[in-house]
Amino acid sequence: MINDDLALRDLSEIADAIAAGRITSLQATEACLARIAVWQPRTNAFLRLNKEKALEQARVLDKELAAGKRRGPLHGVPMAHKDMYYRAGEISTGGSAIRRNWVAPVTSTVLQKLDAAGVVELGFLNMAEFAAGPTGHNVHHGHCRNPWDDKRVTGGSSSGSGASVAARMVYGALGSDTGGSIRLPASACGVVGMKATYGRVSRAGAVPRSWTLDHVGPLTRTVRDNARMLAVVAGHDLDDSTTSEKPVPDYEALLEGGVRGLRIGFALPEALVPIDAQIGAAMQAAADALGKLGATIVPATMPDFTDLYRSAEVIVKCEAASMHRPWMEADAPYANQVRTRTDAGYFIPATQYIDALRLRAHFVREFLAQAMDGVDAVLLPAIPFPVPTLEETDVEASGGPATLKMVARFTGLTRPFNTLGLPALSVPCGFDSNGAPIGLQLIGRPFDEALLYRIGHAYQGATDHHRKVPT
Amino acid sequence: MDDKIRLAAGIAKQLQGLSYDDKRLAEIAAEVEVLNEAVRKAANQRLTFDDDPAAFASVLAKEAK
Repeated sequence: MINDDLALRDLSEIADAIAAGRITSLQATEACLARIAVWQPRTNAFLRLNKEKALEQARVLDKELAAGKRRGPLHGVPMAHKDMYYRAGEISTGGSAIRRNWVAPVTSTVLQKLDAAGVVELGFLNMAEFAAGPTGHNVHHGHCRNPWDDKRVTGGSSSGSGASVAARMVYGALGSDTGGSIRLPASACGVVGMKATYGRVSRAGAVPRSWTLDHVGPLTRTVRDNARMLAVVAGHDLDDSTTSEKPVPDYEALLEGGVRGLRIGFALPEALVPIDAQIGAAMQAAADALGKLGATIVPATMPDFTDLYRSAEVIVKCEAASMHRPWMEADAPYANQVRTRTDAGYFIPATQYIDALRLRAHFVREFLAQAMDGVDAVLLPAIPFPVPTLEETDVEASGGPATLKMVARFTGLTRPFNTLGLPALSVPCGFDSNGAPIGLQLIGRPFDEALLYRIGHAYQGATDHHRKVPT
Repeated sequence: MDDKIRLAAGIAKQLQGLSYDDKRLAEIAAEVEVLNEAVRKAANQRLTFDDDPAAFASVLAKEAK
């Protein structure tokens, strides 16, 4: 195999080929580095590339395998991660200017788990400043650009994660999701992104945006790859008291059940946010494909999320205001949009913040009783409009009402599921008239990630959207 | 200076040690008013004395597949 062939293969295929001795981790790492050399200038997906360290890691992992030691299911697989996962002794910017040279004192739990599974770390990826922003703009480190069209946004805040996986620079990447920040870049870049149930993956050692709403999760090229990666990073963690003690299933082993007999609720919730006709047509086609595979597609009625949206805003603004206070007081160099999105948190009474937290349990019960009554999962769009350009969504350069409205609409169909804490999977389902990807979103009951993967895997078995590669 | 801006200025300076110009205070006051009203209304409709913020995690666990 030549290098580019290797880089175009899926994570699971590469991991299995390394385990079987058909290729080496060093070959896979060199293949990724060759892709990065071509695609980094076009996407600005990487903030730091650790080439020599990655090559050395790969050599060590190859020697271990030759000696009969396979660390885990990701042994020798090159990845990179959103620049908000701490590694002790290394810079971790959080996409900010404030922490441009800050050195992390600890290693995040998820990176420890990936280390233990044998992952090669190529570097750290671009992101919205402090994970605050749904588009992928970053005035401090340069905007990340969509591999399908470098004039268009990647989605954010996990911008580099979406772009690097889509451009086949890495086989998988960690993102984080407070209002859609895994699913938006997954959708806009044409890859798979999982925001698992709140408490499924540890947040310890990750830059917070909102402790209550933050979710850690993987972006990959296929559902199978995603299932393998989530199984590695999920699980209880004493360093994050919000993590669940529920056992982590072998998601990959549960992929093949198919969708026959499942009931999938289908929603195009125009009342929540206007949905572009192209997006609606792609969702209908996805629903039809799942129907042909044997699922029963029924209409799903979404609740009025107005109270939920407002409660989520209260939570994220109050928590962000608290954690950013010392820097805000010192007039530290934030982008305007980060500061203005935080300001209100200093003025909201504690009673309102606490009530917003108390309301969450009610919102979950209401959603399960209404939208998920009698269905196994709900299908709806991830982003309700075609992927916009960087210029159309640049709130720093032109923060007019139209720009702000479009940016706000980005998270209209993703943010509710952070407040609800429910698992949500984004899967590529087509391309818009500009040639940019479209993503569907599958919502499940708490801790039912396995079912979402099963549906997504069946869908990918019948379609080839995820096989298309930007050129 | 209207009452809302005056109140916001007082909160910013006396409670939070932050300063904003009047234009920004007016924007913040309008934003906070919407959020506060929405949460208060939602809370009045749904919450009882015994609702605990930690119930969220319990609901996820109980409703888990």
